[in-house]
Amino acid sequence: MTKFNMTRRSVLAGAAAGTATLGMPAYLRAMSSEFIIGASLPLTGPFATAGQLIAPAFSLYEKIINDEGGIAGTKIKFSTEDSGYVPQNALANYQRLLASEGDKVVAYYGDSTGFMKLVGPELKGDQARMMTSTSFASDLANPETHPYQFMSGPTYEDQFNILLQDIAAKGGKTVAFVHSNTEFGTDPIKSGQAKAAELGLEVVLVESTKPQGADIPTHVTKIAQANPDYCILQGYVTGVWPQLIGGARQFGLTTKFMGTFWGMEKLIADRVTAEAGPFLEGYQGVMPYRYSYDTENAPRLQQIAAISKVALAGTPLENYFPTWGIQAFASLDILTIALRRNAEMGKAPTADNLAAALATIKDVDLGGYFGTNISVENNKVGTGRVYQYSAESRLFTPTSDWLTV
Amino acid sequence: MGQFLQFAINGLMAGAIYALIALGIVAIYKATRVVNFAHGYVIMIGAYLYYTFAVILPSAPWFPDLLFQPDWLVEAKSKAQMFSPEAAWLAWLEKLPRIIFGLICAIIGSSILARLIERFLMRPLLGQSNFAMIMITVGLISVLSGAKSMIWTGDAASVPHLAPNPALRFEVFGSKIFIFGANLVSMGLALVIFAAIVIWLRRSTSGVAMRAASEDQSTAYSMGISVPRVFANAWVLAAATGAIAGAILAARDGVSPALGLFGFSVLAIVLMGGLDSFVGVFISAMAVGILEALAQWQLGGDWVEITPYVAVLIVILIRPHGLLGQKEIERI
Repeated sequence: MTKFNMTRRSVLAGAAAGTATLGMPAYLRAMSSEFIIGASLPLTGPFATAGQLIAPAFSLYEKIINDEGGIAGTKIKFSTEDSGYVPQNALANYQRLLASEGDKVVAYYGDSTGFMKLVGPELKGDQARMMTSTSFASDLANPETHPYQFMSGPTYEDQFNILLQDIAAKGGKTVAFVHSNTEFGTDPIKSGQAKAAELGLEVVLVESTKPQGADIPTHVTKIAQANPDYCILQGYVTGVWPQLIGGARQFGLTTKFMGTFWGMEKLIADRVTAEAGPFLEGYQGVMPYRYSYDTENAPRLQQIAAISKVALAGTPLENYFPTWGIQAFASLDILTIALRRNAEMGKAPTADNLAAALATIKDVDLGGYFGTNISVENNKVGTGRVYQYSAESRLFTPTSDWLTV
Repeated sequence: MGQFLQFAINGLMAGAIYALIALGIVAIYKATRVVNFAHGYVIMIGAYLYYTFAVILPSAPWFPDLLFQPDWLVEAKSKAQMFSPEAAWLAWLEKLPRIIFGLICAIIGSSILARLIERFLMRPLLGQSNFAMIMITVGLISVLSGAKSMIWTGDAASVPHLAPNPALRFEVFGSKIFIFGANLVSMGLALVIFAAIVIWLRRSTSGVAMRAASEDQSTAYSMGISVPRVFANAWVLAAATGAIAGAILAARDGVSPALGLFGFSVLAIVLMGGLDSFVGVFISAMAVGILEALAQWQLGGDWVEITPYVAVLIVILIRPHGLLGQKEIERI
């Protein structure tokens, strides 16, 4: 049994250390030996594929930044936990991490709109941390209501705006919106209708479907009867959108289909092509970032490609890094800029200070994710461009310039 | 009028699949007096088995690709215009061995699963209250859902149609009508299976045994009927027809975990038709299919999910035993 000895000397030493710690300026107390960035990802559950494709981005990012010497000399470390795509689980993960790591936790990566909205009211006082996530929900891009949450791309409303501008520029006259009956699906519909009217486009159909297992023949029938020039699909990840496009092609419809970020992943499009044929030929959509194979003038993407080749050798990510992971990289690079600027000002990495640092990011070259310099305005980066899929080359290639809305 | 016809046809096609799914719930109920709440998840497993044997396995490098590719077909395919009816036929013909292999394996796999459920979860409860058995089926939902997550991902995927899928287009009352060929064939297949099984249950010795066990298990025993075998047959019948329905649904809407939820709306259809009436269930399946399609047309997608439940509520308020369900008389 260990004997616990307390001498007068040890008591005095402890008291002195305690007094010194309490007397330190707050930012020095907060400057820990490492910055912990927490994360909840859906490593199991309906979006497990997305979570498992995003997770490697954290380990690669940790290596890249720590090899560079960390952020203002402080190493970073990720703490990732499974949420199963349940917002309450992600919230519990967040609270548990704060309880165990305290001030070391400087930021958090959320897994969904649901989590970001659920955690929003909790971000007060010492429970507040800077947050980014997989979500492009329009409600989150509001510093008044969500001061500590940001996104590294355009909101779904912005993405619709980019697509509608592109449709108008290409001479389209009519458009249909087909969306899942989820918050994710309905997010940009109203503003999209207003924007379409502003651009002189007629919205001939607004169709709501189940997010999975939708009645494809009936929905395709409605699209066929409306016969729009373009049809924008919103609120799907791996299912429904490929079946809708397949059905429409089988019906001989000439409607051009478009999607937003979560419907634009090459791995999914390739899998659909392999399983069901070249239905997605000509499918277009908005993407805030360059695809990982488009590395020209994109030093960060070159770096990701080089490190993936080594660290992820033998996996499907060896030669292609998914857009869902690129989103995580871009978000973390924006966070790193905020942390660095904040450290340069000698401030503690609190949520308030980081939010202020975030607002200073204007006209910045982020390393090539975007083909243009970007600014963080209203806690978002409103930049993206339209890409088109080729079933033959199995690549998405750009069909528009970079647009900022 | 043309548009009404279009959505009525869509509704009939959906209704036929509902009827095929409902057949399994009614068969189990008629034989065992157990309402199988997990039937949707048995169908989901059937759909995933079809996906595994028709898509995943033949795509593996170590497995035969199971494609029918004689020279004439390869040449005809290369000449066929993309998405033309001819291309649809040729693509189906090429995948036919995969479709047959996938469907047979799905039926066998689902039947084995049903046999295991009946033997190890249901049979030990023979003689206990039906409520205990029903609660077992509720627990099965979590077990099957969890097993699915452990074996397959949550991603949606595409599977080949059981029949060729050329688009049929024609005009009625000045409106264009669009029908998927595969859905029309699936409707026919579902109706033929439904009718064949109902006739078999009414005419064959096994069918009579099932009906006898359903009426009075003790008397059925005394007449030499093996009641446990009757129960097992009912479960296997439900799973086998469920596997076919699962494959049809997976080809139509994509294979996804959402297929499990399908069983709940079909359960509402069964309650509406009458738990022990094949004819009543057939009528309600067709009615709900049409109602859903019309709700989709006139009210939009948000209303579709509640349609079967609203319909069953209305019918049960008027006829508590369903459209053609047998009124239970308890003698004291």
